[in-house]
Amino acid sequence: MKIALRNAVLLMALLLLLALIPRLVSEFNLNLIISMAIYSLFVLSYNILFGNAGLLSFGHAAYFGMGAYTTIILFKKLKFGILAGLFAGAGTGALLGLVFGIFVVRLGGTYFALLTLAFNQLVYAAAEKFRFLTGGEDGVAAMRPKLALPGLAPIDMFSSVNWYYLVMVVVLAGGAFCWYFTRTPLGRLNECLRENEDRARFIGYNVYASKLAIYVISAFFAGLAGALAGAFQEFVTVTFINLDKAAEVLIMTFIGGARYFWGPILGACFLTWVNDLISSWTKHWPLIQGALFVLLVMYAPNGLSGLVMSLRDRLLAKAAAGPRPAV
Amino acid sequence: MDWGTTLAVQGLHGMVYGMLLFLVASGLTLIFGMMGVLNFAHGALYMLGAYFSFSILRWSGSFWVSLLVAPLGVAAAGMVIERFFLRKVHAHGHAHELLITFGIAYIIEELVKMIWGNKPLLVVLPPALSGSVAFLGIQYPVYRLFILFVSLLVFILLFTVLFKTRIGIIVRAAVANKQMTDALGFNVPLIFLLLFSMGAWLAGLAGVIGGPYLITNPGMAATIIIDLFVVVVVGGLGSVEGALIASLLIGCLQSFGILFLPQFAIVFEFLLMALVLIFRPHGLLGEAR
Repeated sequence: MKIALRNAVLLMALLLLLALIPRLVSEFNLNLIISMAIYSLFVLSYNILFGNAGLLSFGHAAYFGMGAYTTIILFKKLKFGILAGLFAGAGTGALLGLVFGIFVVRLGGTYFALLTLAFNQLVYAAAEKFRFLTGGEDGVAAMRPKLALPGLAPIDMFSSVNWYYLVMVVVLAGGAFCWYFTRTPLGRLNECLRENEDRARFIGYNVYASKLAIYVISAFFAGLAGALAGAFQEFVTVTFINLDKAAEVLIMTFIGGARYFWGPILGACFLTWVNDLISSWTKHWPLIQGALFVLLVMYAPNGLSGLVMSLRDRLLAKAAAGPRPAV
Repeated sequence: MDWGTTLAVQGLHGMVYGMLLFLVASGLTLIFGMMGVLNFAHGALYMLGAYFSFSILRWSGSFWVSLLVAPLGVAAAGMVIERFFLRKVHAHGHAHELLITFGIAYIIEELVKMIWGNKPLLVVLPPALSGSVAFLGIQYPVYRLFILFVSLLVFILLFTVLFKTRIGIIVRAAVANKQMTDALGFNVPLIFLLLFSMGAWLAGLAGVIGGPYLITNPGMAATIIIDLFVVVVVGGLGSVEGALIASLLIGCLQSFGILFLPQFAIVFEFLLMALVLIFRPHGLLGEAR
């Protein structure tokens, strides 16, 4: 009860802080925070596979890119509204996830990693070649349309502040669902499949269908994150879909730590922030990021969040033991 | 040029690339077969071979010296990767091994960009290898024939060692059943270290001879790694013979694909991979494990 109350208070404080941010920070930093929010949703979608299901995907950029392209192309060619465009992006991400998922979720481990990578490259090649739709290497650009809500005058999305609030609402809703998902029967089964797939099958679960459903859900949110990223940049190119992007989400998730729900969010925010901070004085940031990644893989497999938690446990244990008597 | 000649020439192109691919893929597939590690850094090692060769060539002035020395440098790099990185995370399981090689590939790629820059580098070939010869009634570049010659030579050497010598038997035994080989008293970690560096040597050699042909540039690791993964999946993880067949298949698919459907040559490769995974999930010659 006490903990539930504390969590509720913390959550309210966080929401209040997020609501006040546009008043507190500069426009430049506001844009940085929007980036962090979008990448947070992307890593959460990735962690449904990586952290919860234990599936190592090298092809999550396919869904992110699919979402981004769909949204921008619909804004441009069919004059979609902003919400319709974003959800169409998420929808096509999920659809692509379904098509690829049929093949990839049959496999586990290394084969899964390989096939997701190959499919990612397939989508990349398609985006590069279908120039009439995607503009190839040049990409496509489209302005963010106004937000039309029933009973209200259209809200201008050109203003960073309005756009910030929309992104926050979408990301928080998506993030809340991802969190809620870990508590649903399917979400629990997801973890069970990671720990012991044979046992889940033995109990009578349809492992294939469950994995496919999980894969599609993950692709949906990756598509939504991509749609937001596309709408944010008002521009999409093959960099939304290439191997670097697929690697980025893996690195963010791993550096943040896949074991805790908030770990990947920490990773996404931390890396986005440091990237911005550091890129002004060194262009070798990816090297540092890679070194950090390798160090964490070797010495702290639970990432930064794992380090924070073990530090906390150590401090709590010390506090519980009381001050060491002087000898 | 009539159709027959065109087909023969494209087939030869396919052979050249296929054999080059096999040089890199053979090490990758043996490493996977033995330790279950899919070495993501293998493409980066291949790229390292090309860049080492560029620098050694510039410093020594001789392509032949770089052909000899650069692969040894890559083998040393491979040894370091195995001994100081891969072995440390072995206890954490395959996902971590995959991740560490992925991280190392990422670092090597960035280092290459840092040291040699982002631009493609031009390797000047010795006069003996430049130009072309009359062949099948057409002019064929000497260098491509050289690639084919070197890779065939290495291929014969590799198969002789692997299938006709005692060391080869031990390696094949370790690939087939690591625990049993260990129990029989062979030093499996040492065998693996040597195998890993030999795989790196092969990748480095492929990089040296492939650099002038496929252009030495920082993207060459990412380009070949996709083809490599298709090769090992299609051939069957752990099977050298499978890797040979798959490499030649991919080489020909690319050269003929470009001839008939230039825009979608890459799609054939993935189609092949998808078909193999659906009907023979463990590859053409791979064993179910």
